[in-house]
Amino acid sequence: MCRGHTPLITRNSIEPISTLLIVLCFATAIDIGAGWLLGRPGFEPHTRIVFALLPIPANLVLVGLIVRSIRNLDEFLRHVHLEAIAIAFLLTGLAVFVYGYLEKARAVRALNMGTVWIFMTLFYGIGYVIAARHYR
Amino acid sequence: MKNRLRVLRAEKNWTQAELAELVGVSRQAIMAVENGKYDPALPLAFRLARAFGKTVEEVFVWDEPASLTPGGQHFEKEG
Repeated sequence: MCRGHTPLITRNSIEPISTLLIVLCFATAIDIGAGWLLGRPGFEPHTRIVFALLPIPANLVLVGLIVRSIRNLDEFLRHVHLEAIAIAFLLTGLAVFVYGYLEKARAVRALNMGTVWIFMTLFYGIGYVIAARHYR
Repeated sequence: MKNRLRVLRAEKNWTQAELAELVGVSRQAIMAVENGKYDPALPLAFRLARAFGKTVEEVFVWDEPASLTPGGQHFEKEG
């Protein structure tokens, strides 16, 4: 803090990353657990539906935490993250579009929808680096 | 828009991190404003000015396009 001054605002600007990581690990563990249970035979159909929906609560908590983190960011970081999200959204769209045509050309196998999330995460990282460098 | 943030901060002998904490933003935000890469919104501009005990106009200088100045193209069309 500046010598002899009190902060003009005192709100913590960023959600503790440890909270997000703990919830992320918890949600991922439930995702993997649900997938493992669904891969095993011998369960009733309605039980399998319960397993399939099991990851929702933890992932909704994760969504809530991420939204809260974004709301607590300062205006500049929101600006950077908005650009990163825009870049990720557009590049993911482009990648899926190109992949779809390659699929029609029978050059690649059918797209696993789970990989779209990996594309988004990867492109979000790239977008963040581009946006952060732009404002440096 | 130009600003005198770097000069004012040097006068106070504050680091970017100290100023950032004082006004409640990240150090990256202060760096971007100082480098002229990012123009802050009014609330942050006021907070920055208040931190130095100055008015917004003393910290931020609006770099007015010629077309918007009296005698410029915009004013000539209206006249």
